[in-house]
Amino acid sequence: MSEQDQSQSKNKGVNRKPSDSAYHRTTDAEQLRQLRVLNALTTSIISTTDFQDLLGKIAIESVKFFNACGSILRLLKDGRLRVEACSGLCEDVKPELEIGEGMCGRAALERRTIFFNRSESADFQCVMKSIEVGICTPLKIGDTLIGTFGLYDKMTVDGNIIPFGENDRITLEGFASVAAIVIEKSILYENALKQETEALKAKKESEELKDYLEGLIGNSLDAIITTDLNGIVTSWNYASEKMFGYSSEEAIGKFLPNMPHFLVDTEKSYMAQIKRGETIKDLETVRKTQDGRIIDVNINMAPIKNVAGIVIGISRISRDVTERKMIEKDLLRKNNELSRLLFISSTMRGTLELDRLLRMVLTAVTMGDGLGFNRAMLFLVNEEADTLEGAMGVGPANHDEAWEIWSRLSMENKDIHTIMQEIELGQLSKGSLIDKLCRGITVSLKTDTVLTSVVKDMRPFNVTDVRTGPLPDPVLIQQLGTIAYAVLPLISRDRVIGVLWVDNLYSRKPITDHDMNVLKGFTDQIASAIESVRLFEHVARAEQELKNIFESISDLMYINSSDYTIKKINRAVAEKIGKPQEEIVGKKCYEIFHGMDGPWELCPHHKTISTNKPFVGEVDDPNLGGTFLISSSPLFDKRGALTGTVHIARDVSEIKKLKEKIVSIERMAALGEMAAKVAHEIRNPLLSIGGFARRLERRLDTDLREHAKIIVDEVRRLEGILNNTLSFVKSTITERKEVTAADLINDITTLLEPAVNERGNVLKKEVDHTVQLMINYDRFKEAVLNIISNANNATENGTIAIRVYQESIFSVPDLLGQRAEEKEAVIEIQDTGYGIKEEDLDRIFDPFFTTRPTGTGLGLSITKRIIEEHGGRIDVESKVGDGTIFKIYLPLKGEPE
Amino acid sequence: MKILVVDDEKNILKLYQAELEDEGYNVVTANSGKEALEVFRQENPDLVTLDIMMPDIDGIQVLRQLKQENPQLPVIMLTAYDYRDDFSVWVSDAYVVKSSDLANLKATIKQIIEKK
Repeated sequence: MSEQDQSQSKNKGVNRKPSDSAYHRTTDAEQLRQLRVLNALTTSIISTTDFQDLLGKIAIESVKFFNACGSILRLLKDGRLRVEACSGLCEDVKPELEIGEGMCGRAALERRTIFFNRSESADFQCVMKSIEVGICTPLKIGDTLIGTFGLYDKMTVDGNIIPFGENDRITLEGFASVAAIVIEKSILYENALKQETEALKAKKESEELKDYLEGLIGNSLDAIITTDLNGIVTSWNYASEKMFGYSSEEAIGKFLPNMPHFLVDTEKSYMAQIKRGETIKDLETVRKTQDGRIIDVNINMAPIKNVAGIVIGISRISRDVTERKMIEKDLLRKNNELSRLLFISSTMRGTLELDRLLRMVLTAVTMGDGLGFNRAMLFLVNEEADTLEGAMGVGPANHDEAWEIWSRLSMENKDIHTIMQEIELGQLSKGSLIDKLCRGITVSLKTDTVLTSVVKDMRPFNVTDVRTGPLPDPVLIQQLGTIAYAVLPLISRDRVIGVLWVDNLYSRKPITDHDMNVLKGFTDQIASAIESVRLFEHVARAEQELKNIFESISDLMYINSSDYTIKKINRAVAEKIGKPQEEIVGKKCYEIFHGMDGPWELCPHHKTISTNKPFVGEVDDPNLGGTFLISSSPLFDKRGALTGTVHIARDVSEIKKLKEKIVSIERMAALGEMAAKVAHEIRNPLLSIGGFARRLERRLDTDLREHAKIIVDEVRRLEGILNNTLSFVKSTITERKEVTAADLINDITTLLEPAVNERGNVLKKEVDHTVQLMINYDRFKEAVLNIISNANNATENGTIAIRVYQESIFSVPDLLGQRAEEKEAVIEIQDTGYGIKEEDLDRIFDPFFTTRPTGTGLGLSITKRIIEEHGGRIDVESKVGDGTIFKIYLPLKGEPE
Repeated sequence: MKILVVDDEKNILKLYQAELEDEGYNVVTANSGKEALEVFRQENPDLVTLDIMMPDIDGIQVLRQLKQENPQLPVIMLTAYDYRDDFSVWVSDAYVVKSSDLANLKATIKQIIEKK
């Protein structure tokens, strides 16, 4: 809308022609009126204390006093003139003016009072279209413009609008100067008032906030702790008391008492971060309580700044998440239980080393993501010693180590291989403190402790407090410092093979029924795994031992298959055969051992193959050259079919000889003793007989004298025998002389003839008369007499042939292949008697061996001894029913031994 | 020359007495160890033949007693058994194995007497 349009519409029907005379009527009355106006205005405006009220009064009162239709009071704010109060015309007022805009703007710009009269042409237009005339003056304090004050449409009493005159200007300017001061002061006052109110309000608000915060902190479920930059506690709320157990009195002024010492360094680095103005959110860590428990917490840390924004302290808001963590873990546990047990047992089954298995078991028990116990130990039952012995222990030695291990060892996102490596290289490996402790523990099963009763009763024990629990276990309490623990039996095939021990020394977490259930499931698994590992070790060891025995045994050991093929031999076999193993194994046994083309009838293997039964016996093997004690045991496959035999053969040739010698010596000793006694008993009567016979012989004549002589001679012979027999054990002093064999034989036959005739036997003599013997006559005669006498006793109505001849024998060839010729005398006594049984043949020379009821069993043994004394030997051949031949060989040349 | 013959067998005593008296000796006898000591004290013999094996006091003990009472007394040990290993026997003056042929004994007696 143009200025023109507005002016036309607003001036309709109104006559506002200003009269020139008004400008010029300056009378005393007018001046008085002006003063009065000023006074009244001033009085009225200073009567109010309210700023807005003041401005309104200025606007209203001035209209009255200047007879104007309206007034507008503008104040300069942010470089613009804003209406603060108006009177009349208010609907038309433009709320804000630029400096220089319209009448008011112009007054402000030019810093002088401006007149406006619409009817007169002017170089500016009033903004308000409805007014005819106006006057506006700047409100100034000194040179400072604070606003403008304008009056509009001065009206005469009769209702005509007239222009403002010079008097009005003077009055207005005077008023304006006063008003400006008043307004200025009012503004200052108003501001001061406002500031005061605001200060009060702010104070009140801050107090409210403080109360609120304190209430908040006090009632918070989270532990809120403030400290200085060094961690010295400055405040400690109720929740902190509840959570950590320290009262605020105990905490304030000290370094964070809830800080586990192993986390102090970590905390210092956090504090350095906070000092730099950073905050730390949702820190998952642990704190210590006054009674030593470790609890899981979630912590937010933030700096506390002073007004200047400088960090002066640290706030920590901690939330106990133990419960949450437990629930989480429980959930995890339940979810993972099956898979974990599967994992562990499958891994365990793949492990055949006891040490390794035990370590795995204990790791699984202590690993944070495993069963999560702080410490674990395995004890194994030693049945021989009737004790329970520590086998292995894992677990940290102190809190520091506990933290380190728990934070590092985790099953999460790792494959079996990695975990096994960690287990083997990690801190839980052999030789840790607890491991050493554990290995040092041996508990007799005769004592009554928790550990032993677990073994005896085959049931688990959960000791929640060692001070109050039954059966205190001083070993565990003293050496391990445990305060609560659980022990579970490892049961395999209804036998307790050991126990698993766990505790939570560091976290102080109680062992729950759920824990016990999981552990129980776990111990069932590990018991059988341990048992199989032990069995395996046992078998492996036994196998090695067997192998060693097999190889090192000096007996010949070999295994044959049922088709006579040699499958396996030990070193002794190879040595005996004189060929390397590979040339023996795979060949037929009869070829190797007996040098035959087919199975040997006497072969024990052959016997076992044909009977399916073990065979033990002595076998003379001419091929191997000796006597062997052989046991042959059948080998069967699972279906019971014979697959071969195991042989153990011992060369007993030497032993057999030695055994014979020993037996012989023993009998000799017994014989010696008896002979001595007998000799003594016989000697005395002989002495009397012989002595008196000699007296008789001296005194009697011819025939009787001859008879007495016989008595004397026979007694002499008997005494000779006695003397020799007595020397049987003691060293024999043999006096030898050369005797013609024929004479010896004649002497003997003369003596025996009556007995021979008595039994109806015929005595035949074929004696080489050239044979000379170098003998102890009496002893040797005794020997031969004994044999002939035996022959006579064994024969009835038969023949006894006595032959004496010489034989040449050849010695083993010497290095040059020369055989030395040696001559022997042979005395052969052959009868046609009963003969000697084959099984008796080897024994007839044994002392005390006799087949006759009246025999002493000494005859032939003495005979043999006598012949051997002469460096000779005696052989026998006999067949039952056909008779017997004894052959006595005596060397003819060389000195007797 | 008086000889004390000691033996637990009466027949032997009879034989020895007869044989030694034939040789011209005066012979006294004792039938046991105990009697030997009694006879020794009564008869004061010049020589003693002593059997070792006797039931009451054996010859070796008798020998010790005799030698204690008269160290110069010659004693001949007669035995059916070889006691030469026994040190005690060494105290005696001779050792003769009993035999029906008394030649050895007689020769020994003669030697001892001649030595004296």
